[in-house]
Order: sequence, then C-alpha cells, then structure tokens
Amino acid sequence: MTHCASFLGLSMGWRLKGEAGRISVLRSVLQGFLPALVLALVSAQAAAAPLRVVASFSILADMVRVVGGEDVHVEALVGPRADAHSFEPSPADTRRLAQAQVLVVNGLSFEAWLPRLLKASQFKGQEIVASMGVIPRRLDPSAHDDHDDHDTPEPDAAQRDIDPSISAQEVRRGRVDPHAWQSLENGMIYARNIAEGLSRVDPAHRAAYRERADRYIQEMKKLDTEIRTALAPVKAEHRRVVVTHDAFGYFGQAYGITFIGIMGLSPHAEPSARELADIIQTVRHSQGVALFDENGLHSRLIRQVSRETGIKVGGSLYSDTLAMSDEPADSYLGMFKWNAGQLIYALSPEAKR
Amino acid sequence: MSLTNALIHLDQVSLGWRDRVALKDVSGTFEKGSLTAVVGPNGAGKSTLLKGLVGTLAPLAGRIRLGFDRVADMAWLPQAGELDRSFPLTVYDLVAMGAWRRTGWWKGFSQSEHARIHQALAAVGLDDFSRRIIGTLSGGQLQRALFARLMLQDAQLLVLDEPFAAVDSATTEDLLQLLQQWHNEGRTVIAVLHDLDMVRSCFPNTLLLAGQVVAWGQTEQVLTPENLHLARHLCAGDYL
Amino acid sequence: MTGLELLYSPFIEYAFMKRALAGSVALAFAAGPLGVVLVLRRLSLMGDALSHAILPGVAVGFLVAGLSLWAMALGGLVTGLLVAGLAGFVSRVTPLREDASFAAFYLMSLGLGVLLVSLRGSNMDLLHVLFGTVLGLDDAALLLVSMVASVALATLALILRPLVAECFDPGFLRSQQGRGSMSHMVFLVLLVMTLVAGFQVLGTLMVVGIMMLPAASARFWSGTVVGQMIVASVLGALASYLGLLFSFYANVPASAAIILLAGLFYFLSIVLGRTGGLWQAARQMRARRRQLHPAGS
Repeated sequence: MTHCASFLGLSMGWRLKGEAGRISVLRSVLQGFLPALVLALVSAQAAAAPLRVVASFSILADMVRVVGGEDVHVEALVGPRADAHSFEPSPADTRRLAQAQVLVVNGLSFEAWLPRLLKASQFKGQEIVASMGVIPRRLDPSAHDDHDDHDTPEPDAAQRDIDPSISAQEVRRGRVDPHAWQSLENGMIYARNIAEGLSRVDPAHRAAYRERADRYIQEMKKLDTEIRTALAPVKAEHRRVVVTHDAFGYFGQAYGITFIGIMGLSPHAEPSARELADIIQTVRHSQGVALFDENGLHSRLIRQVSRETGIKVGGSLYSDTLAMSDEPADSYLGMFKWNAGQLIYALSPEAKR
Repeated sequence: MSLTNALIHLDQVSLGWRDRVALKDVSGTFEKGSLTAVVGPNGAGKSTLLKGLVGTLAPLAGRIRLGFDRVADMAWLPQAGELDRSFPLTVYDLVAMGAWRRTGWWKGFSQSEHARIHQALAAVGLDDFSRRIIGTLSGGQLQRALFARLMLQDAQLLVLDEPFAAVDSATTEDLLQLLQQWHNEGRTVIAVLHDLDMVRSCFPNTLLLAGQVVAWGQTEQVLTPENLHLARHLCAGDYL
Repeated sequence: MTGLELLYSPFIEYAFMKRALAGSVALAFAAGPLGVVLVLRRLSLMGDALSHAILPGVAVGFLVAGLSLWAMALGGLVTGLLVAGLAGFVSRVTPLREDASFAAFYLMSLGLGVLLVSLRGSNMDLLHVLFGTVLGLDDAALLLVSMVASVALATLALILRPLVAECFDPGFLRSQQGRGSMSHMVFLVLLVMTLVAGFQVLGTLMVVGIMMLPAASARFWSGTVVGQMIVASVLGALASYLGLLFSFYANVPASAAIILLAGLFYFLSIVLGRTGGLWQAARQMRARRRQLHPAGS
C-alpha cells in the first residue's frame, strides 16, 4: 500500500516541475520516502520469512517444530533412524549450518562431531543448548580423573553452566549420560530452553513461542501422569529391562525402572564374554525381565540373551532417534508414548505367563 | 604319435617381447636324438629361444613346427634363480612333481611311482636327502634334485637353461654324465651352456646365437674363432 | 572350582560361549590353511584388502534385502570375486603386478561402497549392523560358517597339489599342462567365501586376524606346506578357545582377546619356534662355535 502511494506521488511530482526542479523533488521525496520504505520492507520480511533453524538430530528437530510452529523452518542434521553417535557431516550439512540463523544442540557431549562442523561452516547464528539446566546423570560416581584428555574437543561454555559440580572433564570424557530427553521432566526444560532461545533471536514472536511451549509442556505433564498410573501395578523388583546400550538412564530414573545396557553408552563397543554372562545371570535370576531391541534395529546380542534365557524380545525402543514419518514414533511425544507403551506391556503382570 | 627325424623345425622365427625383438630370423632343425648346446654372448637370446621352444613365448613371426606332443613329451629345466628357495617343500615332494603327467592333479601315487622317485634320487646321489627341506640345500644339491625331477618326467625332449650355472664341479661332472646317459637312451637334449670346453668335449651339435643364428651344426665347425668373433661383434657383449 | 573346571565351565554354563567356540574354531580350521597359502604367495595383506572389497557387496545386499544373512553373503561374494578377478586379469594382461592392481581395485570398491551407502541417505553405522560379533552367533550363522569352513577345507585338500605347484614353479606347471592352472582362481573363490562367511558371523577384525596371525606363526614350527597348514589351524583354534576364556575371566572384549592371544602366539613362535626361531638360532650358533673351538684348544 505504502509503495503504491509513494510511487504515485513521485510520478506526479515528476510531471509538475522542470529538470532541476525534478531533481529537488526527487531528493525531498526520497528523504522522506526511504525510511518508510525500509520499515515497510523489514516488517514484510519479518511477517513472511520463517526463522531458519538447524537442529542436531531428529528428536530436537521435532521439539523445535512444535515450539516454533509456522514461525520456524527446521532441518535436522542427523535424520530419523540415523545414528547420531557415528554421524559424519557432509558438505551439504556444512552449507545448511552456514545458512542457518539458529542451531539447536543437545549438549552433554552428545554431538562429538559438532565442534569441527561449527568451525567448517563458520556458523555465526545463535546456538541453543537444549539441555541447559538439566541435572545430568553421572555414569560413574567414583571415577574422578585429574589428568586432562587432550584428544577430545573442547566443550562449549554452556556445558559447564549446566551443573558446576560436574567438571568439564567429566562431560568431555563421556562420564555423563547425554540422553536427557528420555525424561519428560527434562523434556519440559528442553521446551523452555528452545522457546527462550528462539525468542532471543526473534523477539517479535516471543508470545507465540511461549504459548506453544506451555501447551507442549501441558501435554508432557499429562503423559507423565498417565505413565505413572499405568506403571503403578508393576512391582519394584519386576522393573528390569535389558537393552542394547545405556540410553534410557533418565527414563529409568524418572519411573524407577532399571535398564541394563549390554554395550555401555555407545552402540559400538564390543562387550566381553563376562559382561554378557553377567547379564544372562541377572536375567535368569530375576523375575520377569524384559528384553528390547533398539531404534528398530535387530540386535544380535539381545537375541543371544533371549535364546539363552528363553525370554522373548518384547519389541523395539527408540533411544536417540525418531522413527520415519507416518510411524507412531515419528515425533518426540509419539516416541515417548511408544516406548512407554512397549515397556508397560512387557512389564505389567498380565503380560507374564 | 610318430616322431619324424626333425623333432623341432624352426622357420624364420622371430622371438621377443612387446617392446623388444630378442631373436630374428631363426631357421633350422633340431634332429631327433641329438645333443645340442646353445651358446652365445650375454643377451644373445638363448633363454628366449628356449622359451619359444617350450611354448612360454609365442613367436612374433615365423613358425615353430613340432614333431611331438609338446605337453606330453617335453621336460624343461628353467634357470635356477627363478625358483623360490624359501618355499616349504621337501626334496621328495620336489622330485615327485615330475610325475605330474602320469598322476595329474588328483590321482594318488602308486607303489611303482614311489619306486621311480627313489630311483631318481639315487641316480643323482640324493637318496639320503628325501626328507630335507629345499631351503637347506646347497646350489649343487638343489640342481641334482631338479635333475631327478627331470628324470621322473621321462620325456623324449629335454630342454635345459644353464643347468650348471653356480654349481660345483663334482655335481657338474655327475650331471653331465646323466645328460650323456639320456642321449644314449635316444632322448633329444638341448642345453644352454657357457663353458665352451665342456661343449667341445661333450656336445656333438652346437647352435651359436647372437640375436640371430651365427652358426648351427657340428660343434667343431661352429665353434671356430671366426664365428666366435662374429658373435661377439654382433652382440657387443664380452664373455667367452 | 578346581583349576581344570575353570577351563571348561563357562562353555557348559552358557550356550553363547559354546556357540562362540564352535564358530571360531570352525573358522580357524579353514582360515589358517588359507592364510598359509596367502603367506606363501606373498599376498599377506590381501585378506585385509579383500575385506574392504567385500563391504560394498554386503551393503548392497542389505539395502536390497534387509538383514538377510544369505543375501548379504551373496552380495559380498559377488563384489569380492569381482575385485579379485579383475585385479588378477589386469596383472596378467598388463605389466602391473597383482598386488598393485589389487590395491587399485579394492580402493575403488571401497569408495563405491561408501558412495552407495550415502546415496541411500540413511546414516546408520552399517559396519556394525552388517557384520557380526563372535558372542552373537545364532544357529543360522553357525550353520553358515561351519558349512563354508568344511567346503573350503575339502576343496583346498583337493586342489593342494596344483596350488602348491603353481605357487612354487608356475613355469613347470604350464609346461606340463599347456596352460595356466585353475587352482589360483579356485583358491580365490574359497578365500572370498570364507571371508564373507566369517565377516557375517564374526566381524572383520577377528576373521583377518585368525587367518593371518596363525599362518605367520606356522612357518616357525614346520617346514612343509601341509605341516604349516596344520599348525595354523591348531594355533587358530587354540587362540579362539583361550581368547574366549580370557574374555570371560578378565572382562575383555571377545574378538580383541582372541586376536591378541593369536598375536602372543606369533611372538612366542618367533622366539621359541623349531624352524627358524630366535632361540633355536642362538642354540645352533653356540653349538657351531663349540664345534669350531673345542674346549681346551
């Protein structure tokens, strides 16, 4: 609207004066006109283009999509069904990050490949650490090494903000469980952090982000209550699950379930015969332990435990990735509902023969 | 299969590799039952000729006509340096390879075959060495074992490339006697040699090469000073 | 528990230990002799290189048919043989030697594999999914490795004579047969077959290790081809057995324990071996010196 009016005035002024007169008209009109034009363009930009956000992996991407709504455009670096632990960024990823305005990462040393990618892309936008404020789960409370590990990359300052009692070394050395999103309480902290971070970059939509985050958190609270109710009849001694790797510690902490990972924190280490034997013994001597595959992948070692103990594999749990779209676990809440459902079914008394 | 008097007939044969012609225009005949020495300066193409006779190298030009079944009736002794001395093989197994024509790759070894192997070992003076690993043999002993293998092959034509190089004189004498014996048995023998005195005393026929045929026929007529000088000149090599 | 019981009780108590032992011993029996042939032909690094050549085929098999053991094995077999065959062909027709031409082909194959996997988009750690682990053997895997090991061993026994002849004196064989020997091609098929089956059930590290380490050790104990093959099989089986026990009692990853024990046997062989070992060489040297300088002179 403003453009048309200004243009009309300009052309009219053009016809009325002579050559020299035209130049002076031009100058005065432009001096008044230009700021109005700029303001109009800027507000148009803000109204039309969504924020360009890159999330490190699929679960975070989904959360950003919910909180950001139509005001953001999110891409995940590590997509659904992909492995964030062994991810290798491609040139396309570097480009994507370079053009992004916001980067959302998990933190807690989950993305080991991130520092190099940041350097390569020269990312200058805003970085949001989703797990800021989360109380991390220590993996080995007794261990406390003093000497520095020169091989691992430097953590960002945000890591240390999380919990000053945990040293940067512990985070760096992977002594902290990074799968914090497996607890809905932490999920709420994630949602808050994402909303705050987006608002910092895009203050115009602060209210919208806050509102969506609030609604999201309400849904999480509801789900949390449902899960607790459904798990109530399962006795404490029966709450044991064997999975491929130690990814469900926070879930276990929240609902009082013991998760036994065959391969430790990363899905790539090889267990020793002793570790496998111990797990089999535990399963043999406990009542009603459940066995699960992970991320839709068929695990040879879980099958081995299943064969040796006679317990059938209860299903598949999603640990650090979402399922492909159109599957039940293709969103954060969907994944949570799926995991909880599988676990409740496997652990509840009716499921036992 | 009948064997005519001409065992191998060469007709304008040229031999060499992709980038180099080693022998040009070789024409002549190896007669059945002959004992021929192939001599010439270094680089004269002697080994190349043998490879052509044996079938390893196809002629670049010309034709080699054989009056025998090459595979069945020929035995070839390559230059000693080409064998892997560190290979874990016993003397017995090495000699036993000679029975290939009769046993193939899967038939077992009969009693008579074993007897033949022992005979061959005895003929070369290695009867106590059958269990030894070839890596522990001296040059002369290895050559004896290879001659035993030749014996086992029981071929009508024997082609030997420098059989007495780096071999002690006692062994040379013994093996030379074997060659004579084979010649007396009516077999045809072609051998590349360096020792002209040995050639003059033991070999009735000689082929003198220098990138081409310099002379071919009776030893006294071939090994004249003029021919030897010509050969040296043609090869620009120096050894004799 | 008595000392003797320590040696066998884990295998009785746990089915997975029994399977691991059966699978790795079966593999060791076939891989050892094959490794000896590789050492004799100066192709010791071919096992490792072939593992890279096999990976793209296994990946394609997986992408096409999912986690089917036989589909992946077939894919691996095809690319492995293709690479080995092409390399052999190029080395026969051009001046390039077999090892260099093989290096060229397997690197291309590896690059192709990486490309294929990335094209699909999924970033899953395929190596972990595709290849097995010694503790995770199921009945199908055990059957595969036992079958392949038996066929490989039987065929090797059959072609042993021409194979040895071709290794030692190819010219002789050619002069006797009028043509080159098929035995090398057959051997390559056996090798690829064993590697593919091994990777599927036991992972790459273990298979190449159990193939080459005992074979390298064997030459210090025997001077004949067959003798070395027997020693290699025995050492491999022993390393598997002791390695599994070590993994059980000392809480060490299984494949690594087996390979490290095979490596220990290698060092022991270098020092103590009867044929060419260091200790024996020193003893012979002393004996010779005593001969040349008898006491009192």
